[in-house]
Amino acid sequence: MLIYLTKRLGLSAAVIGLVVLVLFSLLHLIPGDPATIALGPRATPEAIARYAAKMHLDEPVWMQFLIYVGNALTGDLGVDVFSDRPVTQIINERIGFTLALVCTGMGWAVILGIPLGCLAAVKPNSVLDRVTGVLSVGTIAVPSFLVSIWALLIFAVQLRWLPAIGAGEPGDMHDQALHLILPAFAIGLAWVGYLARMVRASMLEVMGETYIRSARAFGLTPRKVVFGYALRVAILPTITLIGMGFGGLISSTVFAEIIFARPGIGKLIFDAVMARNFPIVQGAVLVATALYIIVVLLSDLLIAWFDPRVRETL
Amino acid sequence: MEKPNLSRRGFLASSVAVGAVAMTSGWPTRSHAEMGKVLRLRIDGDNNVLDPGYMVGGTEIEAQKQCLPFLAEYVREGGTFTWRPTHYVTKLEQRDPTHIDFELVEGLKWSNGYGTLKASDVKFSYERMKESDWSGYFDAMDHVEVTGELTGTIVLNKPFAPFLMVTLCHGPGAIVCEQAVKDAGGKFTNDFPAVCGPYTYSATPGQRVVFELNPEWTGPEPGFERVEANVITEVKASELAFDAGELDCTELGSDTLARYINDMPEDTAVTTAGELQYMWMGMNTEHPKLQDIRVRQALQHAVDVDSILQGAYSGTTSKSHGIICPGLLGQRHETGYSYDPAKARALLDEAGASGLELTLRTLNNQERMLTAQIIQANLAAVGVTLKVLPLDSGPFWEMGQESKGDMWKDLELWIMRFGTTPDPYEATQWFVSDQVGVWNWERWTSEEFDRLYNEGIAETDTAKREAIYIRMQEIMEETGAYVWINHEPESYAHTADITINAAPSGELNYRRFAKA
Repeated sequence: MLIYLTKRLGLSAAVIGLVVLVLFSLLHLIPGDPATIALGPRATPEAIARYAAKMHLDEPVWMQFLIYVGNALTGDLGVDVFSDRPVTQIINERIGFTLALVCTGMGWAVILGIPLGCLAAVKPNSVLDRVTGVLSVGTIAVPSFLVSIWALLIFAVQLRWLPAIGAGEPGDMHDQALHLILPAFAIGLAWVGYLARMVRASMLEVMGETYIRSARAFGLTPRKVVFGYALRVAILPTITLIGMGFGGLISSTVFAEIIFARPGIGKLIFDAVMARNFPIVQGAVLVATALYIIVVLLSDLLIAWFDPRVRETL
Repeated sequence: MEKPNLSRRGFLASSVAVGAVAMTSGWPTRSHAEMGKVLRLRIDGDNNVLDPGYMVGGTEIEAQKQCLPFLAEYVREGGTFTWRPTHYVTKLEQRDPTHIDFELVEGLKWSNGYGTLKASDVKFSYERMKESDWSGYFDAMDHVEVTGELTGTIVLNKPFAPFLMVTLCHGPGAIVCEQAVKDAGGKFTNDFPAVCGPYTYSATPGQRVVFELNPEWTGPEPGFERVEANVITEVKASELAFDAGELDCTELGSDTLARYINDMPEDTAVTTAGELQYMWMGMNTEHPKLQDIRVRQALQHAVDVDSILQGAYSGTTSKSHGIICPGLLGQRHETGYSYDPAKARALLDEAGASGLELTLRTLNNQERMLTAQIIQANLAAVGVTLKVLPLDSGPFWEMGQESKGDMWKDLELWIMRFGTTPDPYEATQWFVSDQVGVWNWERWTSEEFDRLYNEGIAETDTAKREAIYIRMQEIMEETGAYVWINHEPESYAHTADITINAAPSGELNYRRFAKA
């Protein structure tokens, strides 16, 4: 397990290094002068000079890269072009909102999707299985931004049951929870379908195994057989999917955060791209990527812990 | 397999109970704010730098208008924008072309114990602007002379008629507290070191800015006790929030404006702040394909601007006849050319330019792309093949600038939009001779235009100024290098029970909002 852990950590570090390289190159690959792009066409020469000095644009590119990597390793992701505030501080202010949204979105998808998949697998080809199948494919097919818009139009604009914008009054948990319902519903809906389909397929495979037949022969209750034996094995690929899902949801939140005007990493990146605020773009994408890699790493380690055969595959 | 023991009747009863509890306790129906108490608005991003000298502009100016003193403010008289003294001054007079006298109201307090507003604050504020990122607004100012604790004179280094409108009414004209700024290290970013206005300021980054009544304010009371400005980047999201009753006022996009004009929702009104954007199709007069003025004139006659206004802007924008926008001195009401494809074909034949192929460069947003496609169809109808090249803002804003490379040599046609302040001088400054290769991408020069530009700045007689700016636009049009397109409005939807106030360039002034 230790060797596997070391290899996986090394791989993750390499991926993050590659991401840093790509992000850094972005600034120099985009056509146009980085200072003019960032500050706008009518920025004064003084402002351009100040920006160039702050971003080390007067240094050779390789030196700029080393400075960036060196700073990033110490947690210094630079400063906001406009406000001079540290990028790390700005990200810290927003990341909680994104994590809350992703966890709630994936949370309700797991709570609904896994039992639905189990039920569909227990009674294959039944009405329940067919209805679940149609609903799953339907929810997977509808993009989350469309769900966001429709949910907002129905529940906020027409019915006025739920708030349309923002993250709620700071310090008011009830208000913040209300503001979380629609965006979490929008980003999690497709994952109900994904998880239900994945669990159903895995369960059908496992339910045909001899140890399940043996469990039934011993007279265990169907609930015990399904949840106590079959699901424990069938859940392994689903854990990988959930891990990947967190990464997918971090990108899905971009739409939800923009449509519902919620603060978060996705909206931060979007706003920074629109304002050509590259230190924020680089910092926020790096953090989002690192989050994704950490979650995938954790899910891989969990599987390796459950199933020792996986440790030999790397 | 065990059967679930939840009966149908039980399920229905439980659902009704859960629904009833949710509806009565936790899920309130959204409604408009209590009148006179809270005003809910949108800002399109965080206020990163509130310091007038180093701000980006836009919503930062909105915040300054609520919390900092100004000597002058915009006012609309009939269809024209002009200025008037604010309630921070008892006197603001232009004594002669280079001296503006002011007298501050006595006893207006800065917050955080910084004492009262003094003439020395005005001197400090305006003289530091000459060294700031916004120094261009103070080029014409020499210094501020303090003549008493509350009185002083702004001394200009040359006659500059637009100073009151362009500088004092706009964001750079904000006055800061000398001692508070010095204590803050000479600059400030996302909070005011001291305020002197009806509201205090607090911001939650990424979420909202809250303006609350300033307990130390002794000037006129604003119409609302609290203003919540929610950070909503996308105008579409803001429009939906307004539809959901969560905002009392929002900016409108052109398509929604068209929808509202055709079918105004109940209890809603629309107010247009100003139309200080001017858009045109430009032509490079030095490009070999466009050097013949007859070719350029043919293109002027070939483009159907009315189709663009309907097709790309749903009829929500004013037709342009020059660079001076509606409501400003010198606005033209007709052009010297008209849509006439037959004349365009004749001019092209006369110039021997049959089979002409041109490239039109534009920013890659929806309205510009639609505009470009309509122009493409118009030119095809007169035998000109047009290739449309959409560009991101980086390369777009550099393509005509000589300092950024040789791209300007290949530049043929482009769609350009500039914004301006409520005085005609600013729009004309980009087309004088020394702007060739900077912002005059059409690359023509005119001694008469340059002379009129200087005369327009110094002239204080309204009628004479108007004649100057009309003539300057005629000169531009006579080069054949311009097809005037439109002036996009800054329009706001708001609940019918409030009246709103916005600067001509669109910045809202919450302190001047009122119950209808």
